[in-house]
Amino acid sequence: MSKISPVTGHYVTVDVDGLEYKVFYLENGQGQPLVCQHTAGAHNHQWRGLLEDPEITANYRVIAYDLPRHGKSDPPENTEWWTEEYQLSADHFANFIVALVDALELVDPIFMGSSFGGNVALQLAHRFPERFDAVIPVEGADYSPGFYLDWWQHPHANAAQVCGSGTWDLMAPQSPEADRWKTWFYYTQGSEAFKGDLYFYSVDHDLRGKLGEIQTNKCAVVLMTGEYDYLTTPEDGARTASQIPGAEFIEMKAIGHFPMSENYPVFKGYLVQALDLIRTKTTVGA
Amino acid sequence: MTVATRAPSVESWVQSFTEANNQDPEIQAHGKYFTCSYLLDMEAHTFVVRVVSGTIAQISVDPGPIEVPYQFAIRASAHTWGEFGKPVPAPMYHGIWAATFQRDMKLEGDVLVLMQNLRCLTRQIELLRSTGAPV
Repeated sequence: MSKISPVTGHYVTVDVDGLEYKVFYLENGQGQPLVCQHTAGAHNHQWRGLLEDPEITANYRVIAYDLPRHGKSDPPENTEWWTEEYQLSADHFANFIVALVDALELVDPIFMGSSFGGNVALQLAHRFPERFDAVIPVEGADYSPGFYLDWWQHPHANAAQVCGSGTWDLMAPQSPEADRWKTWFYYTQGSEAFKGDLYFYSVDHDLRGKLGEIQTNKCAVVLMTGEYDYLTTPEDGARTASQIPGAEFIEMKAIGHFPMSENYPVFKGYLVQALDLIRTKTTVGA
Repeated sequence: MTVATRAPSVESWVQSFTEANNQDPEIQAHGKYFTCSYLLDMEAHTFVVRVVSGTIAQISVDPGPIEVPYQFAIRASAHTWGEFGKPVPAPMYHGIWAATFQRDMKLEGDVLVLMQNLRCLTRQIELLRSTGAPV
């Protein structure tokens, strides 16, 4: 008997900021769109557990895309991208996600991202609160310096292994070894994009002093951070949430910086809490 | 492998760490070019670990000044290394990156050599979870 997953893959063309991208995404489920961003230097397989979760996909249309230059989404079709250094900006990242939502004709989506995806979730809530029902910044913070390092792309070291093992400690020792190694494997595939992604994560993303401007009555915000995350610690997540009026914060125990990928069953328990909070907030606010 | 319940003696740790490394399936599968020398500064003791093609060839205990050369150093307090030596380390004591970003660990010297050997070195340091730390 064949074992064909209900998850399907598609490409959609996205035009944004003068660039044309052919964007690959995986999806499964029906209901409110839940748009998922992988972490820097990775791809959409980090969401494999969520994509195949029958309980979540019964009520949500889970869409996990590959950001351009990651996984099966190529760099821009209409530029000589190889002649320039890749440095992802907050403007372009946020504009791209809105353009993708438009291209897929999504209505009232929830956006969830981890790490640099968590940071851009905060950017979306700040810039485009009317476009999203809610955002779930996972392992996100107002500011996260320190990871824009040359080691990720150093020609004298094995960049694939440096990216894979350099992010290994971001995961909790309690997470299943097989899932941590899958996450390591994804990181070996993304070294050419990782450093440029981290330009956004550690340099261009800076919402210090601006968090109070986020309007959670338009776009609910629920932050979640794992206790083994040494980059964006639970203290960073709690501090960020405390400065956003109406935001919620959930600390996740015994898990790290790649929760959906390193230990989906543990992550799911917290995700259900977040989705319940969002449903309550948006119902009360409606 | 038995789980350490208290700090092992220096002599027994040198033996158990060497054996754990030289019998580790991951390091032996991927360590063909894992060749380097590094200092483990554990405050109460220092060690220079010399690795050749994935095998620990020698661990020098408390070497004298300029007695044993090394390429890079991993330094932290005895407390931090003691936490590394627990079977399930607490947050921020679960790896050299975590402890360097959030605790008192320092990565010094030719860090490029550390990066060149990062995959196997990461596994090697995690062997402390089974051998315990000798401090």
